Amino acid sequence: MSDHEPTSITRRQLLQAGALLAAAPLLGPARPAAAQTPAKSTKVLDFQTGADVAKAEQEGEVVYYGHDGEAGIAALLDGFRKDFPKIKTNYVRLQTGALYAKLTAERSANRFGVDVLQLSDISPAIDFQKKGGYEQYVSPEHSAYKPAYQSTPGGFFTWAGVTFAGIGYNRTKVKPEQAPKAWKDILSPAYKDGISAKLSTSGMQHMQWYTLRKLYGADFWQEFAKQKPKGFDSRAQLFDRLAKGDDRVCALAEYAGYTLFKEKGAEIEFVAPADGLPATPALIGVVNRAPHPEAAKLFVDWALSNRGQAVYQTQTILLYGSVRTDAPPMATGKKLSDFKLLFPADWSDFQASHAAFVKEWNALMGL
Amino acid sequence: MDDLARARRFRPGPRLVSLLVGGTAAILVLYPIVFLIQASLSVGDPQARPPEAYGLDNFADLPRYGHIFANTVIVAVAATVMAIALGFLMGWILSRTNVPGRGVLEQLMALPYYVTPLMGALAWSLLGSPSGGFVNQLWRAVGGDGHLIDVTTPYGIAWVMALFEGSVAFVMIGAVMKSMDPALEEASQVLGAGRLRTMLRITLPLVLPGVLGATIFVFAEMLGSFSAALVLGLPSRFFVVTTAMYQLVSQYPPQFPRAAAMGVSLFVVMFAMVYVYRRIVRAGSYATITGKAFRARAMDVGGLRWPLLAVSVVYLAIAVVLPVLTLLYASVQRLATVFPRADNFTLANYQTALSLDAVRTALWGSLLLGLGTASIGVLLMGFLAWMIYRSRLPGAGTIEYLLMFPQAVPRLVFAFGMLWAWLIFPIPIYGTLWLLLIAYLTVFMPLGLRTIAGVMLQIDRSLEESAQMCGASWGYRMRTVTMPLLRPGLIAAWLLLFIASVRELGASILLMGPKAKVITPTIVESWFSTSTELTAAMALLQTLAVGVALALLFTVARRAAQHPGE
Amino acid sequence: MSATPPPAAVRTASIEVRDLVVRYGQVVAVRRVTFSVAAGEHVTLLGPSGCGKTTTLRAIAGLEQPASGEIRIDGTPVFSSSPRIQVPPERRGLSMVFQSYAIWPHMTVFDNVAYGLRVRKMAEPAIAERVQWALDLVQLGSLGTRSASKLSGGQQQRVALARAFVFQPAVLLFDEPLSNLDAKLRAEMRLEIKELQRRLGITSVYVTHDLEEALAISDRIIVMRDGVIEQIGTPSQIYDLPRNTFVADFVGSANLIRGRRRPDLEQDGRIVLETPGGAIVHGTAHGRRLGDDALFSVRTVHLRLARERPAAPVNVWPATVRRRVFQGDFTQYHVEWDGRPLVVRQVATDPVGEGDAVYLTVDPRRCVLLED
Repeated sequence: MSDHEPTSITRRQLLQAGALLAAAPLLGPARPAAAQTPAKSTKVLDFQTGADVAKAEQEGEVVYYGHDGEAGIAALLDGFRKDFPKIKTNYVRLQTGALYAKLTAERSANRFGVDVLQLSDISPAIDFQKKGGYEQYVSPEHSAYKPAYQSTPGGFFTWAGVTFAGIGYNRTKVKPEQAPKAWKDILSPAYKDGISAKLSTSGMQHMQWYTLRKLYGADFWQEFAKQKPKGFDSRAQLFDRLAKGDDRVCALAEYAGYTLFKEKGAEIEFVAPADGLPATPALIGVVNRAPHPEAAKLFVDWALSNRGQAVYQTQTILLYGSVRTDAPPMATGKKLSDFKLLFPADWSDFQASHAAFVKEWNALMGL
Repeated sequence: MDDLARARRFRPGPRLVSLLVGGTAAILVLYPIVFLIQASLSVGDPQARPPEAYGLDNFADLPRYGHIFANTVIVAVAATVMAIALGFLMGWILSRTNVPGRGVLEQLMALPYYVTPLMGALAWSLLGSPSGGFVNQLWRAVGGDGHLIDVTTPYGIAWVMALFEGSVAFVMIGAVMKSMDPALEEASQVLGAGRLRTMLRITLPLVLPGVLGATIFVFAEMLGSFSAALVLGLPSRFFVVTTAMYQLVSQYPPQFPRAAAMGVSLFVVMFAMVYVYRRIVRAGSYATITGKAFRARAMDVGGLRWPLLAVSVVYLAIAVVLPVLTLLYASVQRLATVFPRADNFTLANYQTALSLDAVRTALWGSLLLGLGTASIGVLLMGFLAWMIYRSRLPGAGTIEYLLMFPQAVPRLVFAFGMLWAWLIFPIPIYGTLWLLLIAYLTVFMPLGLRTIAGVMLQIDRSLEESAQMCGASWGYRMRTVTMPLLRPGLIAAWLLLFIASVRELGASILLMGPKAKVITPTIVESWFSTSTELTAAMALLQTLAVGVALALLFTVARRAAQHPGE
Repeated sequence: MSATPPPAAVRTASIEVRDLVVRYGQVVAVRRVTFSVAAGEHVTLLGPSGCGKTTTLRAIAGLEQPASGEIRIDGTPVFSSSPRIQVPPERRGLSMVFQSYAIWPHMTVFDNVAYGLRVRKMAEPAIAERVQWALDLVQLGSLGTRSASKLSGGQQQRVALARAFVFQPAVLLFDEPLSNLDAKLRAEMRLEIKELQRRLGITSVYVTHDLEEALAISDRIIVMRDGVIEQIGTPSQIYDLPRNTFVADFVGSANLIRGRRRPDLEQDGRIVLETPGGAIVHGTAHGRRLGDDALFSVRTVHLRLARERPAAPVNVWPATVRRRVFQGDFTQYHVEWDGRPLVVRQVATDPVGEGDAVYLTVDPRRCVLLED
C-alpha cells in the first residue's frame, strides 16, 4: 500500500491540461487520512477493516443506495456477497438527483434505512456531508487513496472509481478521414443533426461542459448548439443509437459504455482527444444512523480494497477506473493512469456553476 | 308488524359505511395532493422539506415551457383522435357487424393492452427509427433512399401512443355499441339507407355520448403518457410535459417545485374534463340497459365482411404481432439489426435477465401486488362507483371529482406527493409493498371507477330497488343482486387493474424500497443502463409471466366455479 | 280475505300520507299531498307523466327521501320531517312491482320469487312450497327452473308479481306495472291483478296513467296533476262526477259546455246554463259552488243522437253530424251543435249518416257542474 508512481504522472498531465487536478481547494490542506484511522483494524481476507466482522455478520444485512444500473449494482453486491455470504444485500437504485431527493426526504421524516450511499455527482455528496448525513469513518484502506480522492476532512466519502468520456463515432457512418480527433471536431458541420450527448440530469455532462468551457471558452458550447445535438439520459442509450447508426457521433462517449458495446461487436470507435478526458468520480460513504453500522463499514472497506476495486474495474457493466495508488489495469488492460483526465481546478467553482450549466444545457437540448 | 317494529330502531348501515369508504378514498387521493400543492408553492431551496418560503413564482415561470405544453397538446390530440377512430372502427366491426370470426377477434382485441406502452415504444423504435429501424433497413436494402417511416416525429409518437395507450378506447366504445338496441339500426336500413349511411347517421350519433366519454378519458391518459414520448421523443429533441417533468426531478438538485407546478396546472384541464364527462353521463343518454333484455344482433354487411376482417387482422398485426415479433427478434441478438451475422445471435440476454436476482424478486412482487391491487381495487372501486352513481348520498359528486385527480397528474409527479405524504405517516408502511399497494389503489382509482361505472350505469336502478323492496338489507342485496349483475364488469375491471399494476412505472420508480421491488422500473432501468436487446428479453419475460399467471388464475377460477364448494 | 293455502294470517296495513313534499333539487315534484289508504284497500294514483304519482309511490316505498311531511304505515311513522324519521325501504314491510319488471337476469324464476323469503330466512322446504303457491297464482307453475332472462314480457311481469306478494307484505305497491305490455296482455293482467288483490286482501297502491286500468282495479282513485291531488273518489265518482276540467278531460273523453247561469229557469235542484250560442242546458250541481259563469262536463257516451225528436222535456237540441268514425264497440260522431263541435259515442244501433240533421239529447243528471 505504498504510493505508486503512475498517479503522479496523471497528476502532472492534468496540470499540463490547465485544469488543476482534483481538488486541493475543496479538500483543503489534507491531513493525512491515516492519522484518523481508528486504532482497531483487523485483517479479513486480504484487506484491512475497521469493522467488527463478527458483529457485521450478526447484523446479517447491508442496504446500499446507488446510482448505477440494476445489473451494475447486482455485480457489485454479488462480489461482496461472494466474500461475505452471511451478509444479505439490499439496494435502491435511482438516478443521482432522484436518489438523493428520496434519501433526504426519508431522513427528514426520521426514517433511517440506508447503510451505504454511492453518488455519481460531487454536489449532493458535499451537501450531504454538510447536513451531517455521513458517518465519519476512516477506512484502513484509505492509506491507498490520496487526500485528493477523499472528502475534506477524510472519512465522509471517498472516490470508489472514476468514469471518463471521450468522443465516439460509428465506423460505417463516418469515414476514417472525417473521424473526429480533438474536442473542437465535434463542432464540425459534417455531424449536424447526427450528434448526441447527455441531458442536463447528468453529472458527467456538467463536468464536460465545465472543463471544456475552461479550455475553449464559453463560445464552444454556443457553437455546439448549432449542431442540434440530441440529448439522452444514459450512456446505454447513447451507444445503442451510435451502434445502430441513428447517431453518427457521440460527443460524450463514456469509456465504460464504449467497452460494453464494442464487446457486443458494435462498429464504433473511441477517440481520446489529446486535451484530456472529462472525468467524474463515484463517491461512496457510510451513512450515519445506519441500521447495520458494522456491515456498512465492512462494505465500504471492501469496496475501497483491491478486492472491491477489482469488481469496479473488471465488471464491464461498471468499469470504473480505480484511483488507488496500487491499482491494477481495468478489464480493457488499460489503467486509469493511461488516460489524461480532466477535473475542475476549483471544485467549489464547479459546484457553483451548476445552475448556469442546467440553464444553458436545457436550452441547447431544446427542453 | 315485526318489520315495522324493527324499523323503528334506525340503523346507520350503508350511509355510515359509504361516508367511511368515500372519505378514506378521498383522503388517499387528497393527502398526497396537499403535499404536491405545497411543493408547487415552494419558492425557497427546492430541496427543502417542508418549504422555506411560499409564493407563485413556479406558476409565473410556466410560460417559459410554452413550447412543451404545445407539444403535449399536439401529441395528445393527435393520439386521441387516432385512438378513438381506431377504437370506434374496431368497436363497430366487432360488435355491430357479422365479420367472420367475431368471437375470436374480440378476445384478441384485449391483447394490445397486454403489450405495455413501453414495449410498444421499444418495438416501434426498433422498427421505425430513421437509420437503425428494421423497416428502414429493409427499405434501403431494396434500393430505397433515406428512410420510409420515422416514428420519432410527433405524429409517429402519437401513433405509438394511440396503439398502446389507446386500446382502452375500444373497450369503452365497444361496450356502448353492444348495449344499443339493434332495432334502431335496422329501422334505418328498412328505410333504404345504405350501411355506411346507417353507421354515420344512426350508429354514430347514438353512441356519441359514450364515445365522448371515452375520448375524454383517453385524452387525459394521453396527457399523462410517458413511455412513448421518452423512448421516441428524445431522439428528435421533442419534449412533452411528462418527459420534461421527469428531467426536472431527476437532475440535481431536483426541481420539484417547478415539476409540481406543472402537474398542478394540469388539474385545471382535468376539472374541465370531469365536468364535461359528468354532463354527458347525467344527460341520461348513457342509460342503455333496462329491465327489458334484447340480444345484440349483428348487422349483415354482406361482401364488406372480408375487407372489415382484413382491417381487424391488420390492426392486430400492427398492435400486437409485429411488436412482439420485433422484440423477440431483437432479444436474441447482441446488437439488433435486420440482417444479423450468424455470430450476432445469442441467448445471453435471456440468461442475464433470468440470472438477475432483482428480476426474480421484482417479478414476484409485481404479481403479488397486481393480485392485491386488482382484488382490493375491485371491491373498493366497485363500492365507490355504486356510491357515486347509485346511492344518491350527499357529497357523492364531490367525491367523484376528487377521485379523478390522479388521472390528471403524471404518476411520476404524483409519486413525489405520495413519497412525502407516506414518509411522515405514523404507521410504518414506507418502504414496504403495502405502500406500493396504497399507491396503486390511489393512482388507478380513476381507471377502476370508470370501468365499473360504465357497467353500473347500464344496469337499471330498479333491479336493486326491487331487492330492497323484498326486504333485503344493504349487504344482502349487494351480495345477491348488485355484485352478481356487475360480475362481467368487475372481472373486466379486475383484469384491467391487474395488468395496469404489473405494468405501472411512474409511481413505482420512486416508491420502491430495498425490500419492495416491482418489475417494470427494472425493465426501464435496464433500457437506460444496458441495452435495447436485454430490455426486450426482460419485457417479453414479464409478458410471459403475466400471461402464465393469468392463465393459471382463470383456470383455477373456472374450476372453482364449476365445482362450487358449498 | 280468502287467500288460499299458505299459513300465516294475512297482514294488512293502512297508509297515511300527510303534507308530503318531495323535491329534486330546485324542482318540487310533490306539493303537500295528503291522503290515506285503508287496510285492504286498493288505491290508484292516476295522472299524466310528471304529475308526481310515481314520486309519491316511491316516497311511500322509501326509495325517495321527501323534504317534509309524514308517512305512516299502520299508524307507525316511517317518514317524518319532525321528529326526523326515515325508515329504510327494506324495513317498511312493503313490496313493489316495477315498471321495468326488474327481474334479475342472473337468477332462475324460482330464485327470483324465493328472494324475499330467503331474506326472511324461511326454511328451504317451506320456501319451495310458498314459491310454488305464488307461481301457481300467477299461472307460471311449471316455469320455476327457467332462467329469468329467457321469459317473455308478460311472463316476466308475472314473475315480478309473484315475487312481490310471495312473502305476504303488509302493503303492495305497483309502479305502472303493465305499461310495457301490449294491449291484450294488459287487459288480461289487469283482471289478474284485481283477482289477486281480492284474494290476498293486501293493501295496495297502484300507479298508472291509464284510465281504464285505474277504473278496472281500484277501490278508490287519486287523480294527480303537477304534484297536487285534483280529486279523490271511487272509480264511478271520478268518472261520473269529475271535479274540474282536468279530471273530466283526463278521465275519459268529455265535452265541456260553458255558459251563463239562468237562475230564472232553475227548478228541482237543477242548474241551468245558457251557452253563448243560446242553447239552454240543464245540469246537476252535486252540491258544488257556482258563480255567474259555469261549466258542465258531459261524457261522450252520455249524449244521445236520434233522428226523431225525443220526448224529454229539457236538453233536447237539433244538431248536424259532420263525421262518423266506426270504432268497433262503438261509433264516434263529430257533430255540430250550437255553433261548436261536440263528440258523441254511441253503440251503433240506428246509425245516422254524415251530414244528417239529428236531435241531440242528454239526461240532466249527466251534465255535471265542474268547480272551475
